[in-house]
Amino acid sequence: MQASPLAHHFENIEKQSHAERLGMWLFLASEVLLFTALFAAYAVYRYLYSDAFAEASRAIETWFGLVNTIILVTSSFTVALGLNEAVKGNGKKTGLWFAVSVAFAIAFLALKAVEYSHHFQEGQLPGRYYSFHELQAPGASLFFSLYFLITGLHGVHVIVGMTILAVVGVKAARGKYTAAYHTPVELAGLYWHLVDLIWIFVFPLIYLV
Amino acid sequence: MADPRPIAHEEHLATHHAHGMRYVVVWIALLVLTVVTYAASRVHLPGGWHVAVALLIAIAKGALVALFFMHLWDQRGANRLIFVTSLAFVALLIGLTILDNATRFPLANPPGSAGALPWGGADRDPPKLPQ
Repeated sequence: MQASPLAHHFENIEKQSHAERLGMWLFLASEVLLFTALFAAYAVYRYLYSDAFAEASRAIETWFGLVNTIILVTSSFTVALGLNEAVKGNGKKTGLWFAVSVAFAIAFLALKAVEYSHHFQEGQLPGRYYSFHELQAPGASLFFSLYFLITGLHGVHVIVGMTILAVVGVKAARGKYTAAYHTPVELAGLYWHLVDLIWIFVFPLIYLV
Repeated sequence: MADPRPIAHEEHLATHHAHGMRYVVVWIALLVLTVVTYAASRVHLPGGWHVAVALLIAIAKGALVALFFMHLWDQRGANRLIFVTSLAFVALLIGLTILDNATRFPLANPPGSAGALPWGGADRDPPKLPQ
């Protein structure tokens, strides 16, 4: 026997799900604004140093970003498939799809680590640690400051997201959720889709301009 | 409201349908758009259009994720409102910051940047102030 997922201060499971979903969306909105602050900083310095930003963007390898975009988009898809199974009450399959998504997340981080070590070797570092000889223009080190801030914060979100997916996936596989109540699966998915959504904007701004 | 059914019930119904095929279509669309945005960055476009095209494609991809993977398409009421409100604040934050930077006078911009005085321009002796 498992305990009912309904907390005592809610009338019924429907209202609880609605409140949970609403709370998650409020949190996601605050996450969007957290990243917006960094994107605003990017907009300012891109405006002030557009040539240096264009050259610095060309100095980093585009294929890393392209492959990582494909990995993240696909992981978002597998998370959606996991929810699809949870809706039907197939907890085991949800766990399986979430495990696939976590594997994609690890692949994403591994590729990011390779990319970071490449930047370290080239001296493409923020602030006064910048020592990339091929590009010595005002604003070039600012591009890499923002690069590390944005991709670093996104990376932290990837780590948090894959942890949530792993926990919820294991619970789903153990049959904690039913077709009638699977809101945690949905909320974990929402968080992961937001991580994907943010990367969709990071990719063109960092790699393609 | 046109629909007399309560919001919670509506959401409950909407999120208890399986969307397998829809997810596949969205996934393929996202992959195609990713390749398109990469290809668009490789071709020659007149100045400024690269960013516009890249951002338009990113907005299209983001809309697909938010509407179908995040189920905003199926949901009503508050969740949509929160998301749209956060987008309004995104527009305000970035839009006003860019407006500020675009309308500064040269001395307010750091040397070497667009809109700053030419090199050496700020190094000239400042005009003597009347005693």
